[in-house]
Amino acid sequence: MFWRNNILAVLLLCCTWCLATSEEFHEALTFRPLQDGRLATRFTFTTLLRGAYPRDPSTLQEEDESQHYAIFPLALGQVLREYAVTELHLTLNAGKWDYDHWGYPDEPGVGTGAELWAWMGESAARSVDERWKGLRNALSGQFCASLGSLDEQRTTSPELTFRPEGSLPQWGTTHQLRHGTLPSEHVCTENLTPFLKLLPCKSLTGIASLLNPHRLFDADWHGLGVHVRYLENEGIEVRLSFQSVFDPVRYSNGRRDWSLRSVFDRVIDRSCPIAHSSEIRVAIPKEETAVAITPDSYTTHAGFVYFNVSNASKPLDISMSWPDEQKFEYGSSQSRGRLSVSITNHMPITIQTSYLESMPWLLQFYLHSLQIYSNGVSRDDLISIVSYIPSVPHVRPTLFQAILTLPPKSTLHLSMDVIKPFLRYTEHPPDAQRGWDLPPAVLVPLLHSNSSTLDPGLSNPPSGFEQLRLPRRMYTPVLLVDLATPDFSMPYNVIIMSCTLIALIFGMVFNLLTRKFTLIRVSPEPK
Amino acid sequence: MDFGLVYPALVAGRLLLAFAPLPDALKHDHQLSSPLTSYPRLQEGVYLFQHGIDPYSGGLFRHSPLLLSLFSTALPLNKFTSACLWTACDAISAWALVKIWRARQRVSQSSRDSLIAAIYLLNPYLLLPTLALSTSTIENMLFLLSLMFASQGQSSPSLLALALLVQLSLPSAIFIVPMILLLLSDPVSRLASPREFNTYLSSILAKLGLWWYFFTEMFDHFRPFFLMVFSAHLLIYVLPVCLKFQHDILYATYILAGVYATFKPYPTLSDPGLFISLISLFPETYQYLRYPIVTTLLHLHSALLLPLFHHLWLSQGTGNANFFYASTLVFGVSNGAALLDAIWAGLRIAVGNLPEGYELIQK
Repeated sequence: MFWRNNILAVLLLCCTWCLATSEEFHEALTFRPLQDGRLATRFTFTTLLRGAYPRDPSTLQEEDESQHYAIFPLALGQVLREYAVTELHLTLNAGKWDYDHWGYPDEPGVGTGAELWAWMGESAARSVDERWKGLRNALSGQFCASLGSLDEQRTTSPELTFRPEGSLPQWGTTHQLRHGTLPSEHVCTENLTPFLKLLPCKSLTGIASLLNPHRLFDADWHGLGVHVRYLENEGIEVRLSFQSVFDPVRYSNGRRDWSLRSVFDRVIDRSCPIAHSSEIRVAIPKEETAVAITPDSYTTHAGFVYFNVSNASKPLDISMSWPDEQKFEYGSSQSRGRLSVSITNHMPITIQTSYLESMPWLLQFYLHSLQIYSNGVSRDDLISIVSYIPSVPHVRPTLFQAILTLPPKSTLHLSMDVIKPFLRYTEHPPDAQRGWDLPPAVLVPLLHSNSSTLDPGLSNPPSGFEQLRLPRRMYTPVLLVDLATPDFSMPYNVIIMSCTLIALIFGMVFNLLTRKFTLIRVSPEPK
Repeated sequence: MDFGLVYPALVAGRLLLAFAPLPDALKHDHQLSSPLTSYPRLQEGVYLFQHGIDPYSGGLFRHSPLLLSLFSTALPLNKFTSACLWTACDAISAWALVKIWRARQRVSQSSRDSLIAAIYLLNPYLLLPTLALSTSTIENMLFLLSLMFASQGQSSPSLLALALLVQLSLPSAIFIVPMILLLLSDPVSRLASPREFNTYLSSILAKLGLWWYFFTEMFDHFRPFFLMVFSAHLLIYVLPVCLKFQHDILYATYILAGVYATFKPYPTLSDPGLFISLISLFPETYQYLRYPIVTTLLHLHSALLLPLFHHLWLSQGTGNANFFYASTLVFGVSNGAALLDAIWAGLRIAVGNLPEGYELIQK
């Protein structure tokens, strides 16, 4: 009796142990502070189904063998087996990834909108295109995204660009790639909720509890990704990722310090008991300014700081601060701003260049606020204004031409105040919130042949000075300016409300001015 | 309190405040100065003129040529002189207000002098635009000077000040009729020809009044019609008010100052400020005001909401233009309520105390 009960318990334990070792769940969160004060975060939830094998497409006619998953997401697994998909990548991103300031992303799929690509083996029973259609519709239902519209009008097979990231099993049939993008797809909480349902601990415990949609979808850039691939000696791996770029300067009003509480508005209260490993990594910025990281229970390795979430004391809140920094400032408003140009002269001689700024009338200059700084020193003598034709609203643009003198090996910063007007209803373009593109400024370097422009520190002119070839014209990058927009749904309302107010006041003044006063008796006549 | 003590103290306090380091944002605030009165635009115009570029060729500089010639030749425009000049303008305005009061009461000194000067110099609606160096301070000074000379019967200085005022700001032309009636003399045509563009509302950068959002949201087809309607609307108040209050033209000018504050094309806070300061000249009407509490609270309400919603809309980006528009509507209601109260009190006071058992109505 005793042994029978115990044997049952031991058998049960063995079963769960076997099942448990055949599936592994790892979660990780990586923080990377960027050079412009922003913070790149990346959540990775990886489930590995050991010993599993993608479904052979030649068996699509027959009934599939039943799959048992403990941690591996069932809904996704069913979709993968139904359409015999070997490798699948789905990303839903919003925003523009700024490679200049943010570097390369950890997950390469940062194209805006929805992107879906899959490697599937050929089959005589059901064609790849038919299965691609079924896969799209299944995933669009699963993730509440309109992936169903990635039909043959948007599907291609770019095998050179999208190589398989895992291995393709050898079945004797070739694998084909299907790829589609939907750049106008919006990402919101509707897409995050089914994403969280695929996780074993959902969003209740562990690192996934930090996924706060209010904060995630407020980030400057965010994207979620689902990646399924087959690894030859290991099995099928499902990697769910969420990347985002936050702006801690915006939340904290000037400082780029961040913590889990300030970025996600949450802390980790409990760790996920099913996770094989659960860690948070923070990249140490390479600059020399001092950085403070709390709590102290971390290990350092190769420029990263590692926190083990399962062992750490709860509630866990990690923070990073730059104690010696003053405010990290930038910004203007929608009524005025500051236009600045910086030009660097790498050559050892003084160069004179003509600077042309032709600006549409929607940005008006305050010339009296023009400031020139060369290597930090204010130098008003380095500019001479040749001509300035101010703009007339609704009629003509501004034309500003000046000659700038650039000292050798220095950087010149030119800046002036600008005011932004308030445009009329009909003058706004259809996508008014995007802003207006400003034309680039044009610089034409002029070269003086007399030696007075040479740096007096040089005894001989540099070699090849006579053959110096300066560019004939240089262009600055195009800027985007955002202007205040009225509410476009309101013309009728505005007209009736303003007119009502004016009519009411007029009517009451008219009443008061035109009526005569009379006395009336209200109490009865005294007897 | 003795006027001779209070007045210099207030002026000195103002001067100190003008020299205090104040945030630069005051100069650019849209409630305190409009495109016609803004100080950075004045600086830009003077700068362009001094560099040989015609300031009027662009749409930025809208001030009068008088100001341009004054600040490019006689007075340099820097922090020190501007602070002194603007404080002097306000001091002269307060002094003129006191003189008007004395002329009205036919006394050479009274106990209310210091109160009137304090009401003018401490009024936040007038204090803040002066600190923002808005040229509406100069316009208010010219208006009060003209009124002062007219109350004293001196026609030439009064009309000169009025002419300068109309040169600076065209909608002040509504004051021509009452000022002439106040002088009780023939209309004198020494007025400079006014400039045209104030009536065409070519820049809707002003944010405070009833015009700007209306003309933003309007389709181009109707724009000339509504411009005509709004301009004519401002003018139709002149004759009826002057006729109704012909027994007390100063009160008619006061009412028209209220009309001007509510309905002019580019209002700023200094226009209702002038109207509210002028109320100190008519203490006899206080007991006949119907709802002074409501008006005060409405003004307080809108004065708090206007800068908040302006910041929310333009700087922070979390608000909408509608927030600010709603607060300007409340501001319009509060100005209208003050105007109606003033008209009612002015009419009611003529009836005097009511005998027992009688009610006063209008038919």
